[in-house]
Parts: sequence; C-alpha cells; structure tokens
Amino acid sequence: MSTQALNPTHHLTITDVARLQAVLSQPFTDLKSAYYSVVGLSKLGIFVADADETCRFIKSNLDPSSVESLFYAAEASQALSGCEVKYFFTLLFVLITGCMSVTDVLCQPLSSASVLAESASAVSSKSAVLSQAPFTLREYVSRLWISNVICLKHSDNFIWKYFLCLKDCPLFHSGVFELNFMASQPASGYYQFSVAIAGDSRFVANHVELKVKVSTRVAINNMDLSVVDKDQSTGPKTTRVEYPTKAKASFMADGHQNFAVTFQLVDETTGVELTPHQTFVRLHNQKTGQEVVFVAEPDSKNLYKFELDTAERKTEFDSISGTYALYLMVGDATLENPILWNVADVVLKFLEEEVPGTIQAKTLYVPKPEIQHLFREPEKKPPTVVSNTFTALVLSPFLLLLILWFKLGANISNFTLSPSTILFHIGHAATLGLMYVYWTHLNMFQTLKYLAIIGSLTFLAGNRMLAQKAVKRIAAEQSSRLAKYRSLR
Amino acid sequence: MSNSVISVISRFLEEYASSTPNKLKVIDAYLLYIMMTGALQFLYCLLVGTFPFNSFLSGFISCVGSFILAVCLRIQINPQNKGEFLSISPERAFADFQFAHTVLHLVVINFIG
Repeated sequence: MSTQALNPTHHLTITDVARLQAVLSQPFTDLKSAYYSVVGLSKLGIFVADADETCRFIKSNLDPSSVESLFYAAEASQALSGCEVKYFFTLLFVLITGCMSVTDVLCQPLSSASVLAESASAVSSKSAVLSQAPFTLREYVSRLWISNVICLKHSDNFIWKYFLCLKDCPLFHSGVFELNFMASQPASGYYQFSVAIAGDSRFVANHVELKVKVSTRVAINNMDLSVVDKDQSTGPKTTRVEYPTKAKASFMADGHQNFAVTFQLVDETTGVELTPHQTFVRLHNQKTGQEVVFVAEPDSKNLYKFELDTAERKTEFDSISGTYALYLMVGDATLENPILWNVADVVLKFLEEEVPGTIQAKTLYVPKPEIQHLFREPEKKPPTVVSNTFTALVLSPFLLLLILWFKLGANISNFTLSPSTILFHIGHAATLGLMYVYWTHLNMFQTLKYLAIIGSLTFLAGNRMLAQKAVKRIAAEQSSRLAKYRSLR
Repeated sequence: MSNSVISVISRFLEEYASSTPNKLKVIDAYLLYIMMTGALQFLYCLLVGTFPFNSFLSGFISCVGSFILAVCLRIQINPQNKGEFLSISPERAFADFQFAHTVLHLVVINFIG
C-alpha cells in the first residue's frame, strides 16, 4: 500500500467539503478556472461530471504559445482520465531544488542534463572553496519525493508556487544529482554555492545561488583560572579546569587582586581555533540572585582572556561581597553544541560593602515617580518702600540742579519767539515723548520710523534756530570789538 | 598736610568762582547733577541688589553717557579752547550734543526693558 498524501477531507468537515464542491462545480469560463475546478474536484475525490466535454473545452482553449496556458491544460488533462493534450515545449524550465534534483516543469526528470557546481565560496572570508565541481547522477533512487518548501525561493512566478503546494511530485527513479561537499572538509561557517545546469541550449533558469551552513562542534582547551596580585608581588596562582567538571576549590579575590580567566576554543574535529559570536563570562550571586555578564575577548593569537578587577568593577556588582558562581557561555550560529559551563565558584570581597538593598530589577518597569514641573521662581524683589525711597532719592538731584541754575542766574531771556525756535522746542519735546512711548508701547522699528520724521523736523528747525543765534552772536562780538577799539582810541 | 589740602581746595574754589564764565558754570551744575544721579543709582544697586540688572545698567550708562557728552560740550564751548576747535562753533557743538543725546537715549530706552 502506498502511503497516501493528505487530502482536504482530512481537515475539512463534511459541510465544508460540500460547500467547496459546490464552488468548484460552477461552470467554468476560461482555462484557468477549468483547471482549478478539475484539479480541485479530483483532490476531493469527486469525479468531474462531464469528462469529455471538459476535455474538449480544455483542448479548444489551449494557447500553445503561453506557458501558463500549457501548464493549466497539462495539469487539468492529467486529472481527467482519458484526456490527452499534446504539447511541445519550446522552452524547458529547469527546476532545481536544494537537494539537487533536476526536473522539468512537470517533474519529468531530465537525465540529459549535467549539473555543475560552478563555485562555492565561504561567506565570511569570500575565499573560494570549490570550483567547477561536477554533480554525479544518483542511480536508481526510488523513493517518494516530497518537495522541500525551503528549496523554492523564487515565488513570484506562479509555476514555482504550484510546486510549493504539490506534495506528491511523482517518484523519481533518477534525476537526483548529488555532490558530497563535506568530503572536502570545509571549515565551519556559511558558504555560497553557485550551481549551473548544462546540456541543452533551451534551458532557462538553469543557474541558482544557494547558501549552505557548515556547523561544527566546539571544544574548550586550556581553561586557566588565576588570581593575580595587583602589585605583582606574588606570582599568579593558576588552576586548570577540564570541561565539563567544576573546579574543586573556590577562588578568593578582594580589592588587591585581579581574577583572570584564559581559555581557547577549538574545533573538535580539526583543532582549528574558533572565534564564536558569543563568549560570555557570567557571575551569578546565589544568595541575591544578581548576575553580571562580561564579554571575553580574544587576543591576536585567538586566546580568550577575561580579567576582573574587583575594585574597578564594583559598581556593577553593587559592592555586594559573597560567593559568585562563574559560568562560561559559548554560542554561535555554526556551533552544534553551545556551552553553558559552571567553571568555579569565586568569592569576591569588596571594600565599603553597602547593605544589600532590595534588588532593583523588579522595579525597572513600573511607572517612574511623576516629576512635577517647577516653574522658575520669580526673583526676590525689594519691598516697595525701599524702591520708592530710592526713586525719590534719585530724582532729587534734579531739584538741586534747578536751584543751582537759579542761583547762577541762568535764564531764558534770549528766547526769541521765531517759528524755528518754537518748532525746534516742540520737536525736542516730541522726541522725549517718543522715548517714553517707545518704553511703554513701541518696538525699535516703529520708533525709528517716528524718530526719522520727528528728528528731521527738529533738525531743520534747530539748524535754523542755531544759525540765527550764531548770526546774533557774531554781530554782538563784532560790535563789542568795535566798541573796545573805539574806546582804545 | 591737611592744612595745605584745604588751602589748595579753597584757592581752587575761589579761582573757579571768579574766572569761569557763567555759561560754563551752568554746564558744571548740570554735570554735578548727572554725577549725583549716577552715584545714587550705583548706591541703590550696592544696597538692594541687582535684580533688574538690565534696568540698572541702562540707567547707569545713561548717566555716564550724558556726563561724557556734557564734558565734550563744555570743552568745545570754552572760549579758552577756541584755538583747537576753529571749525566748530558753539552752536555746532550744541547741535552735536543734541544729536548724540538722541542716539544715547534711544539705546537707553531700548535696554531699560
């Protein structure tokens, strides 16, 4: 008994099947719907009502120049018993699956093809590992081929999508090409394969890029734990620990010492040094549940080293002294055996030990206390009495000035009532008024505008006035000089 | 020592009262007024604090500026200095004084806030 593929009745209820059948039994108008109808009903295990009529419909609607049409016709005719559609492919679509099975578009094996791995290169180093390596045809393979979903990446074209769903692609007796890549003992990592099919000039889509991952197992060598005095007075005490055992004695380190861990990571099979993505040293305090994780860095010789300076790192430990379990964590995408290894116990002593408070981790994600906005405090102003007093005080010298002027005999007896004088004084007063208005209402631009108008008027008037005064002064001087001259005579 | 200082000062005041023309004395009175106003403002700032600092600065600068301009006017008007200011008549000096004051007060009012 051959194994049966899953069919829709395994998943759908009877009413659903009936509904589906009703949908699929609708009369079809074109080849596509005919295909869906025929193939769908055959999957449900229902025979198409009018097989001959359908066959004739398919043959009449076939368009030999369209691949889509050919496909629908071919598939539909296969589902109907006793219907044969003759077709001739002008193009042979080559289907390459990741496991190197080469068929044409309807899963007929192409034994006339030859498959060549044109190149294979490691992704990280871009170095070529293989070049022009041929695939060999595997003979007499009789097994049910279940098309692997991962193998088909180009899902834009409908043809590929169909094969994605196809679970019972027919048995291959030959047509599987294989290449043993692991025989060339590649190092672990990612490889980019470029595969090509040759053999017929009609081949289309006969080139594909594949990504292959080679994984490996890692082994830890030379794990050394040592406690070194900071001032190098005593030599380091080194203890070697073998994986997966734990060091028997616990290590002690206080503020004066450094605790160091060195180790090497190698490939188990080849002994090549590895640099995985994750190499962490985790210190876990058993009592408080606190853990601190550090990264171990490799040096130039790929030797991993981690040094813990207790005094320097005390903030990360919150200065909580005690016994910490030291774990080594190694992981990578290409490792088959990631490692979590409890290497040893370390007793750390910190200076200025604070009382271990409650662990803050739990309160990390609760809403933080609300911050009240503090508006800027207005500046402290002196009491009004003081400022009023000083205002009066500052204005008082003006009185003094008036008194002095009066005593000196300053007067305005020379005040001529000519229009320019009056205008000047009005303009001057207006300027002072403008200053006050500027202080209370206006901005610089408006003030400048008004000032330009008032100022020019004042200037013209003032000029006239001063000119008149000058004339008068010169006349007075001349007359006084004349008088003096006359008196001298 | 103090005797001579006092005698110098009294001599100076005598000379000043007799030989300076009235016009200059008027300007000197004005100068004294400006100086007192400035000093009182500064005293206030020292005693009470610089709260509206920009106002204090503007007032003080107004006093200082006015003092300087008045001193310039006095120098230019003084008939004893006539030789050095041949091209500048007293009227011209006064006009300059007025104009400079306008600019000064514009800045002061802008800054007083």
